[in-house]
Amino acid sequence: MSHLSPPQDASTPDLRRLVYYSRNRIGGAEALDRTVRAILATSRVNNARVGVTGALMFNAGCFAQVLEGPGAAVESTFERIQQDERHGEVSLLAFERVEARLFTDWSMAYVGASPAEAARYRDLAGEGGLDLSRMSGDRLCALLHGLALGEEAAAA
Amino acid sequence: MTALSVAPRAAADLLAAALSEMPAPLLLIDAGGTVTFANLRAAAMLPGTRPVGLTLPDLLAAYGAAEAPDPGVLEAAVRTTSPAQTRLTLADGRLLDTVLVPLSTGGFALSFEDVTELARGAALALQEPLTGLCNRIGLHERLDAALAESARTGTPLAVLMLDLDRFKAINDTLGHPVGDALLCKVAERLRRAVRKDDVVARLGGDEFAILQAGAAQPQAAVALAARLVDLVGRTYVIDGHMLNVGLSVGVALAPADGASADDLLKHADLALYRAKAEGRATYRFFEPAMNAQMQARRSLEVDLRRALALKQFALVFQPQFQIETGQVVGFEALLRWNHPERGPVSPALFIPLAEEIGVIVAIGEWALRTACREAASWPQPASIAVNLSPVQFRGGKLVETVTHVLAQTGLDPTRLELEITEGALLDNTDSVIAVLNGLRRLGVRISMDDFGTGYSSLSYLQKFPFDKIKIDQSFVRGMAGNAECGAIVRAIARLGASLGMRTTAEGVETSDQLAAVRAEGCTEVQGYLTGRPMPGIEAAALLGPAAAEAPAVPFAAHAA
Repeated sequence: MSHLSPPQDASTPDLRRLVYYSRNRIGGAEALDRTVRAILATSRVNNARVGVTGALMFNAGCFAQVLEGPGAAVESTFERIQQDERHGEVSLLAFERVEARLFTDWSMAYVGASPAEAARYRDLAGEGGLDLSRMSGDRLCALLHGLALGEEAAAA
Repeated sequence: MTALSVAPRAAADLLAAALSEMPAPLLLIDAGGTVTFANLRAAAMLPGTRPVGLTLPDLLAAYGAAEAPDPGVLEAAVRTTSPAQTRLTLADGRLLDTVLVPLSTGGFALSFEDVTELARGAALALQEPLTGLCNRIGLHERLDAALAESARTGTPLAVLMLDLDRFKAINDTLGHPVGDALLCKVAERLRRAVRKDDVVARLGGDEFAILQAGAAQPQAAVALAARLVDLVGRTYVIDGHMLNVGLSVGVALAPADGASADDLLKHADLALYRAKAEGRATYRFFEPAMNAQMQARRSLEVDLRRALALKQFALVFQPQFQIETGQVVGFEALLRWNHPERGPVSPALFIPLAEEIGVIVAIGEWALRTACREAASWPQPASIAVNLSPVQFRGGKLVETVTHVLAQTGLDPTRLELEITEGALLDNTDSVIAVLNGLRRLGVRISMDDFGTGYSSLSYLQKFPFDKIKIDQSFVRGMAGNAECGAIVRAIARLGASLGMRTTAEGVETSDQLAAVRAEGCTEVQGYLTGRPMPGIEAAALLGPAAAEAPAVPFAAHAA
């Protein structure tokens, strides 16, 4: 995880949180791994620059992502994602004004990397895979936050 | 200065002063390509270096000048002692149009002109200011060039016409700044989705176009259109709002669908029209049949626009009976268009077109006035039902129009029933309901027409206390073979009874159907069995004292 000093939210009056999930359109495990790395690398650099934090989860056919930050930065980050054809059927679950960040310490946490996480996914998902499309924005956000914290504890 | 040394001294002075001080920049270059003279204007335009003594390549290098379209033109011209013209782009961004001519005495004169502003102006004239995309003129220019190239090389090209669905609603509700920001984001997505050499243009409003050249067709256009429908249709987040618009695309290919820019744009537009007619958020390719269909539609439109003035419309009146008593209680006025050459034109054909082009407002007002005048002349105060189009609610003058017509015709307002469909309530429900309440205050009654086929939203019944619900004929017709239809008719009849609304069964054609709707509790009936639509004079006769006791024959047998 690339840690940052927590952004100063006091100076961010228009703090927003955006939650979405999308179908991934990348074929092949290797290409997928490469792509996820590339997305993470780019988004960590970009996000740190504009004060956006959040988490990205990848699971079988879906991406889920939480973006937090100043309204304009979240909007332009999300617009970049919307122009990216690797994401298909992007569903915006929530876009709301918030008092404080949930993902204070992560420019873009990635959950789903460690074996422990993989096991947790199986628990969460059951047989049919985790159905993100049936989750509310709040639940998905809480799930990602829990996974990010768990991952950090496992890495420590 | 050899050219001047042969002249008399005074003349030489004059010529030297003229060359040096004339307002156009001038360099003289010897046969070897070295600058021998720079006049004042040239020196002023080439600051920082003394041009005299430099070779032409050194001079160009000193200003970082690039020659367009072909580099090396000036040097080659000096080598071969021939004239040349070129445009130089200097490192500081200036554009110089340069002319080199060999002189009869040997050497060259090089003159130039700063065309930076001119070129920028020309580029701006081809650009659309909000999004920075090409404008219509720019697209035309690029399309003409691409068509010439395509004719030369035999490679096809595609023109895609794009139109946003629901943009107007966003612009109207959230305001122009949000609408403009949305257009900019759409433009950005379009730019991102195309290849470098494709041309993206904004033609105005929410209309865009793309020129796709140098790709295998139609595959490339199919792929691009599908990608655009997906990308542009994705949610936008603007100014804290989550916005969704759809994209409809029409495609025409050259040379198959046209060889000129105008034909291609027109055909892509026809295909776009089809995409929008077939559900939007999709793409369609031009087909030659669309031309014929559009021409047929245009000619119908021309005829329809003048039908009112030429008095080609007529009203017929279909009787409505109270089931319990068997009495005629009123008539529904139905619009007929009889065209001298076309013959009778189906309302299913011309009413949607009249709504689309807006003439329904005038036609509707004519129908209302004619129906009210007719009814006012009847021997009995039967009700008269007149249909209203959703379009008639938009102008904000409906209450005024109805008030005026009632005053003009002297019809008792309580005899007038205005029929609306759910379509009228779909958009701007609140303002439509305000109009309905205004009409109600005049004493006019309001019916819900064709109930059961649209959204059948019960919330509409709750939001406005309709006087009557008219059950769509499809349910009445389906009752014989289909238990569900019976159940639906029964449910609507009960709903009407408990809400205090009368219910009319429409489209009753057989005595079995009549018996069935009676059993289900409908209060009124209208259909071919009890009476076909008839001219006003027959309607009046049906209402005569004798007619009231003996209404339509098949119905009399069932009357209580």
